Amino acid sequence: MARLLLLLWSLGPMLWQLVSSLRTSDALSGLASGGWTLEHYRQLLQGDPPFLTYLLNSAVVGVCSTALTLALAVPCAYALTRIGRRQARSLTLLVAAAAAFPAVLLFLALLELARDWHLANQLLALSLPYAGLCLPLAILLLQAAFADIPIELEEAALIEGMGLWQRLRWVLLPLLAPAMASSALLVFLFSWNEYPIALTWLSRTELLTLAPAMARIAGSSVYTIPYGAFAAATVLGSAPLIALMLLFQRQIISGLTQGAIKG
Amino acid sequence: MRWRLWLLMAPALALLLAVFAVPLLHYLWLSTQAQSVLTGLLPEPIGAQQWLRLWNDSRFWQDTWQTLRFSAASVSLEMLLGLAIALLLDQPLRGRGVLRTISLLPWALPTTVMALGWRWIFNDPYGPINRLVAGLGLPAIPFLSNPAITWMAAVGADTWKTTPFVALLLLAGLQAIPADLYEAAALEGATPWQSLRRITLPLLTPYLLIALLFRLAQALGVFDLIQVLTGGGPAGSTESLALYAYLNAMRFLDFGYSATLLLGSFAILLVLCGAAALLWRGNSRLQGALR
Repeated sequence: MARLLLLLWSLGPMLWQLVSSLRTSDALSGLASGGWTLEHYRQLLQGDPPFLTYLLNSAVVGVCSTALTLALAVPCAYALTRIGRRQARSLTLLVAAAAAFPAVLLFLALLELARDWHLANQLLALSLPYAGLCLPLAILLLQAAFADIPIELEEAALIEGMGLWQRLRWVLLPLLAPAMASSALLVFLFSWNEYPIALTWLSRTELLTLAPAMARIAGSSVYTIPYGAFAAATVLGSAPLIALMLLFQRQIISGLTQGAIKG
Repeated sequence: MRWRLWLLMAPALALLLAVFAVPLLHYLWLSTQAQSVLTGLLPEPIGAQQWLRLWNDSRFWQDTWQTLRFSAASVSLEMLLGLAIALLLDQPLRGRGVLRTISLLPWALPTTVMALGWRWIFNDPYGPINRLVAGLGLPAIPFLSNPAITWMAAVGADTWKTTPFVALLLLAGLQAIPADLYEAAALEGATPWQSLRRITLPLLTPYLLIALLFRLAQALGVFDLIQVLTGGGPAGSTESLALYAYLNAMRFLDFGYSATLLLGSFAILLVLCGAAALLWRGNSRLQGALR
């Protein structure tokens, strides 16, 4: 019984969107019963720009932010586990505080940075603030993973005469794969969903990522009762994420819990 | 050897400083500058005037109240529901893994996407809730047009999205509690309610507090949901501090005051989360003393 309620609570709103997206506008406003259609999807996919552009933009920013975050977080997390307890503790505390900080409060200063450095309306430049905002979580996750690797392993590699880079590449990184996968997924989710910075950095329609595009669709009044189109947009906008969740649920869940607990 | 470690950290620390520390310092400076249409968008020093303006700004205080009301309601709902769901998912049930994944789905959706979805669900009269209400012969609920109700609609949508996160965290906490504690309690004749109060909740406290701190900080910065679901309306009754700061910068082009508002919000956040963290410290010290 409780399980059924939970299912209904989690899936109900999404199923309603799916059903709505397939009904004709007349059926949605109760003028006619029945009436199923793919019209709303056709409108979205043939819109100007087509809805897929937004998904593609989000995917590009997501991949780029993820790569940048990992490239910065891995060396930092490694150093944090080797640098001595006192400094590591205070740095970790600061990083944990940053992880909980609501990013929206930073939008104005980041916007001015974008203006000064001519980063506005550059899709890939969004990865910079995104990587910065995701670094705290990634560092906490990777630091916990590094700490779990026995130090003897690295010492053995040191005796073999391996340099720092070789030790990282051949000894430590393979053991770090699960934590890296978790962090990568969480960073990707974050940048896929991020709104205030994308909203203020991007103004050209064809560059919009999914979140600001949704808001723009919400604000447009092209349709009389545009809820069929709204619903189709929510379905198309969430489908990739639902697929991602179903494919990688293990990594995402372990990342979420580890990140919060270790930090 | 040591300098090499610092070198490894340098790029990450530099970006962290640029994204977190520089903005806050910049706001501190900008809050003492008038920078708006009136000054030709160039900064002009005006001392503490904008802080005085903030103090006398009834819209700021109203938004503060509305943000606090939203945060208190949604965070407490999320903690309660999250705990209930975590307890449910901790039971050895069939299909538990699938259920856990499905219940996490709302959390993964972009806030703007689901806010748009909820606008349709709350629609008056064609949304599913109001159809149900109409089917029962009751008057439609004006979810998005009545100031007394709309903020609760926003709380509902936020609860739907973020409860899974709380539940997942608490579930991890529950699974870290050794099972033999419960077995020993059961041998002593403890009721399920007693073992929940005496074993589960005390051992879950760190997890509860982490979830509380994190969710509180995020809720106090609520922006995406409000902007898409209600736009701050009706009649400004759901406007949050972050939305007010955003409007000042992007619509009224008053950057100086926007920075002041952002710092004001940050101060409120700091006080509340600091209080929660201190409570936690005091609590753990008290428990240490009792032990």
